[in-house]
Amino acid sequence: MSRLLVDLRTNKVLWLMIVPSLVFFVIFSYLPMIGVYYAFTNYSFEGGLFKSPYVGFQNFQFLIQSGQLYALTKNTILYNLAFIFLGNALQVTCAIFLSELPGKLFRKFTQSFMFLPFFLSFVLIGAFVFNLFNFENGAVNTFLKGIGLQPYDFYLHTAPWKYIIVFFSVWKGLGYGMIIYLAAIMSISDEYHEAAKIDGANIFQRTRHIILPLLVPTFVLLILLSLGGILKGQFDLFYQIIGNNGMLFETTDIIDTYVYRSLTVNFDIGMGTAAGLYQSAFGLVLVCAVNYIIKKTREDYALF
Amino acid sequence: MNRKYARFFAIVLALTLFTALISACSKENKPAAESKAAESSGSETTPAESSSASDPAKPDISKKVELVWYLLGDSHADSPKVVEEWNKMLEKDLNTTVKLNFTTWTEWATKYNLLLTTGEKVDMIFASSWADYFKYAKQGAFLDLTDLLPTYAPQTWSTVPEQDWSEAKVDGKIFAVPATYPEFTPNGIVYREDWRKELNLPEVKDLDSIEAYMDGVKKSKSGVTPIGGSAWNEVSTLFKAITGFEAIGGDGNSVVVAKSYDNPRDIVAYPFTTEFADYAKRMKTWASKGFWSSSTLSVETAAGDLIKAGTGAVYWRNPAGAGGFITDLKKTNPEIEVAYFPFTRIQNYAVPNLSINNGMAIPKSSTNPERSLMVLDKLRNDPKYFNLMTYGFEGTHYSLNADGKTYVAPPKGVEVAQDWKKYDIAGWGWRYEPNMLKEEGSWDGFDKLTEEFKAISRPSIFQPVVLDYEPVKAEQAAVNQVFKQYGQPLMMGLVPDVDKALETYRKKLEGAGIDKVVAYVKEQAEAYYTERNIQ
Repeated sequence: MSRLLVDLRTNKVLWLMIVPSLVFFVIFSYLPMIGVYYAFTNYSFEGGLFKSPYVGFQNFQFLIQSGQLYALTKNTILYNLAFIFLGNALQVTCAIFLSELPGKLFRKFTQSFMFLPFFLSFVLIGAFVFNLFNFENGAVNTFLKGIGLQPYDFYLHTAPWKYIIVFFSVWKGLGYGMIIYLAAIMSISDEYHEAAKIDGANIFQRTRHIILPLLVPTFVLLILLSLGGILKGQFDLFYQIIGNNGMLFETTDIIDTYVYRSLTVNFDIGMGTAAGLYQSAFGLVLVCAVNYIIKKTREDYALF
Repeated sequence: MNRKYARFFAIVLALTLFTALISACSKENKPAAESKAAESSGSETTPAESSSASDPAKPDISKKVELVWYLLGDSHADSPKVVEEWNKMLEKDLNTTVKLNFTTWTEWATKYNLLLTTGEKVDMIFASSWADYFKYAKQGAFLDLTDLLPTYAPQTWSTVPEQDWSEAKVDGKIFAVPATYPEFTPNGIVYREDWRKELNLPEVKDLDSIEAYMDGVKKSKSGVTPIGGSAWNEVSTLFKAITGFEAIGGDGNSVVVAKSYDNPRDIVAYPFTTEFADYAKRMKTWASKGFWSSSTLSVETAAGDLIKAGTGAVYWRNPAGAGGFITDLKKTNPEIEVAYFPFTRIQNYAVPNLSINNGMAIPKSSTNPERSLMVLDKLRNDPKYFNLMTYGFEGTHYSLNADGKTYVAPPKGVEVAQDWKKYDIAGWGWRYEPNMLKEEGSWDGFDKLTEEFKAISRPSIFQPVVLDYEPVKAEQAAVNQVFKQYGQPLMMGLVPDVDKALETYRKKLEGAGIDKVVAYVKEQAEAYYTERNIQ
């Protein structure tokens, strides 16, 4: 404590400089956390936050009640793992390809072109998906019929939707992640490459022994950051593509959409907060665990 | 010097942010306290004044206030202009302006819920038995109007019939001003009558003829999906109609139903009945015949738009909705002839709506409930206000006939384009029958239907049962999920194997605690029946 006070006195200006961001986090991140208390109350219009009756863990019951919690958590985690690893792998690959492309103009053009989907809203993507895959006049089935094949009814089967969702998520995020990796690749000193070239290394060898190892810190950092949100599966992606179509929930329901549905049918602040708290707590545990593992193996890369 | 200045600046910045935070907190508290004070002073003065309701002391309107109103439904492109005109009148008469907002129909339930639970300042909002009025009132989302009405809405207080007030009561208190417009809104379907005649299909009168009709249309009209777009409403309401199952508490999507009107105490979860099993099997054949699209649960397009586009044939509507649709169609697509079939003809009885099927309530968050009531009183009872807000500008949107009781839209002598839309906003909440005008040239079937319903009318006994699911809310939330995931696809005939899907559905429902939900509904219903002496 006294050390802190001494520090405060000696580094006054530094401390003051950090004040705005501290205030920012207090206002927008820590104060709203008080609302977590909703998860343990039975909300009433009279009582508001603090005077509503305390009910303990009763609000968490509905998550367990349906027996869906396990399936939902599993879906959420698997989807996110697919998004994170497939997405990052593709981003790295594309970034390497792009960095090796000769024409500057062509490179810039490709880069922007791949970045474009990032700006599309999920509402639009939802419309794309419907118009591509519906049975009556979707593009895919019209094409299949056109070349004389049997049309396939996507909306009656749950299996293809896993791939559709992962595809669109990866496609949308590709350009954004790629730019981050591209920047990392660009910052690799040319000396390494030149030295390798003199030694007769071909492009694959250079990629394998120079680019990839030097990308690891970026990769680890991005993975760690995205793992924190692993239980907050991308709500808009799932909601816009699947919506309220119960037919497809078996493979596409994640915690976010489940909670959203529970609360729009049977709106209850307590239960909503409870589900949100479950997500956050799980995310916290996950980040700490992954960080711990990384710290044990490669200390330099750990986040904290 | 420079350093000192920087330090000073940082401190000032921190302080500003801090005070902003503090003031943001206190700001939130203030109006609520004020409104509480106003509320209590309002109720204090009431007893003295209510005795002389015919000549109330003019409430004080010296302070100009701005109100926020919310309506549930859509606005019209010209609404801003109409509201502007309305505000000019209000400012003159009541020293008030109203900001009129619409939730639109997309995600309305979510928006409505959020408006009430987040405590946003709203001075009046549409309320209805089909929008959970009873539940919200019971939970305390609305302001108790019982004492305010005689003082601040004297005309309304005296013109709304006693029966209507009593239907809007929860625990003996009035939380909303019900619209005064008796009507029947049974389910039914609008269908392409011209195609039926052309293809020589049987008259639509029951399940079999509906099937024959759709079959004929599907086979002969290529490119037509009989129920285009989202078919859920058509299929689920037809189920209730042919089985005679009655929803309790006005929640049409609940799986807990009374088995028949004559036997209101026989309450079950319908997925466990043989009727449902049979129906699901039948719907499976309908779905495989292509009566609706396999993506029907993902589509938001209303079947009606597809009738207009010429690719649909059947559309779920209540008589009033059908009337509007048919009248509209006559103007935009005169080549299409449609007819209406109310499901009451299958059931042989019709139940009138509760008065609170439409109404206006004041949320707890309101800061000016008194003025808001005064505006409503004016709006309902002054024909000038009523016509403006309900029918739009005379001359632009409609023209009044000489008799003063009927109107023409579009106004006489005005040419309109294909995409013309009658001025029609979500104003059911303030309907007052004596002020309402009849549209000339509107669908003549409507009045006949009302006569038909009156002849077979039976009192509403299921709707007023108040269900807030408080003791079983975890089970209720779980059941709703199961219903969405397993029940809807099953009823729409989208599952590969009906028997297996039915078994899964039932098992999942049991796991979610359906028994507790049924027991709860039974208990509430029994209590209501006993109170009202029903059987």
